[in-house]
Amino acid sequence: MKPGFIAVLAIILMGLSTAALAAKVGEPAPNFTATDSNGKTHSLAAYHGKFVVLEWHNQGCPYTQKHYNSGNMERLQKEWTQKGVVWLTVISSAPGTQGYVTADQENDYMRRMKAAPTAALLDPAGDLGHLYGAKTTPHMFIINPDGVLIYDGAIDDKPTSDAADIPTAHNYVSLALSEAMAGKPVSTPASRPYGCSVKYTH
Amino acid sequence: MPGKPHAAEIHASGFLQLARASIALAFFVITASFCAAEGAVAIPHGTVALISQQRTIQPGHAIRLGLRFQLEKGWHVYWINPGDSGEPPRLEWHLPAGLRAGAIQWPAPNRLPIPPLMDYGYEGEVLLPVSIHISSTLATGRELTLAAEMKAIVCHDVCIPAKARLSLLLPVRGERPRESAEAAMFRAAHKDLPWPAPFSWKPAARDLGDSFELRVNTGHGAPGAWFAPLEPLQIENAAPQKNVTAATGLRLILKKSDQLLKPLARLRGVLVMPEGAYMIDAPVTSAPVKPIEKGAVR
Repeated sequence: MKPGFIAVLAIILMGLSTAALAAKVGEPAPNFTATDSNGKTHSLAAYHGKFVVLEWHNQGCPYTQKHYNSGNMERLQKEWTQKGVVWLTVISSAPGTQGYVTADQENDYMRRMKAAPTAALLDPAGDLGHLYGAKTTPHMFIINPDGVLIYDGAIDDKPTSDAADIPTAHNYVSLALSEAMAGKPVSTPASRPYGCSVKYTH
Repeated sequence: MPGKPHAAEIHASGFLQLARASIALAFFVITASFCAAEGAVAIPHGTVALISQQRTIQPGHAIRLGLRFQLEKGWHVYWINPGDSGEPPRLEWHLPAGLRAGAIQWPAPNRLPIPPLMDYGYEGEVLLPVSIHISSTLATGRELTLAAEMKAIVCHDVCIPAKARLSLLLPVRGERPRESAEAAMFRAAHKDLPWPAPFSWKPAARDLGDSFELRVNTGHGAPGAWFAPLEPLQIENAAPQKNVTAATGLRLILKKSDQLLKPLARLRGVLVMPEGAYMIDAPVTSAPVKPIEKGAVR
């Protein structure tokens, strides 16, 4: 075979494998195993039967700061974890980039901010980020108790870095969780995630 | 903490820039009393100014203002559809009675790759024109302040929010306005605005399952042409766009967004070509797909 043909074939196969793995609303969410800031391992499969929220995070990003410094994100974490939702904050910033933290730094941050996720997953290699196609901080995903992705997108409908916009915003995550828990279809299953780019390793 | 010191640094530099701006510009933009002089306001890693193409306002005749960004190398602001991250600059106008601002006219964007993502925007310098409609009953002989609150996000590898209060003082006169010193910038910016696509181009798109085939009968191939979508969640911004030159024009293969959950009725955006940019509004059909004609794949 010609090298060109092999290259084309390789690209096609890569394309297929990516397509098979990518997270897509309405399809089973890709399984993952990741380690949190306390060294504990979490796998999506272990949370079968529960709603799972994935929240992409970068504490240096103005859009993340909008939702944390205002207390909006912490409020959502408390509200939904109290209702039995598993809330996983994910940090995919590569070492040396904005938002990269060690486990101690993340625990210190969560204490200071009174953040209340179930756990903060450290993903410095970006594996989990790439698996879900996480683009921004924040970027929110919701997985239902059957393991199906039911929401992929923004935290709300006001794509700005201004905390003054939060009171008048419609929160897509709360809306989707409320609807799904009531047995209704999710009215907005996808939206453009807004924020800073996830600081993947290059 | 990599995050926190950075935030502190943002505030410190923002404060310094603000201080500098305050001294130089007495906090808000000061404009000369007659000509449409520009006053640039410092924002993180650059300046922003409200400038006018005309020196005066004539009742009943629209004038053109522009939001001009001058950014340090490597820093950018965003197009109306920012792509995978960021947000476009916004203006909240404060205009005297009888004046009404149109929408921002967005020049063709540049692709700003941040692998694995793709953003759309402007690096360095850009002028975003806005038409101001003027009532024909406006009284002459006085000066009007045209002001706007600007909000934007300025990004390199990291992003910093930017805010500025911008204003211009323009006299209302009975005669036809003369051009301002900045008029040449408007003429230059005009070339970068997308033109309506010629009727004969008949843009049309076909749903190929995991991608769209956008066909535009430009009558010639257009190597280097690419499509910037006006709406998010339609195509995968970072996916390579296969450009197939056919006898009648060009075809672009655009990978669908993973977030596109419903059939799309129209594909709207800007076709960016080396000689200029064109607005595209293509109906999408899911008709049986004919094989793509053989041609040069670029």
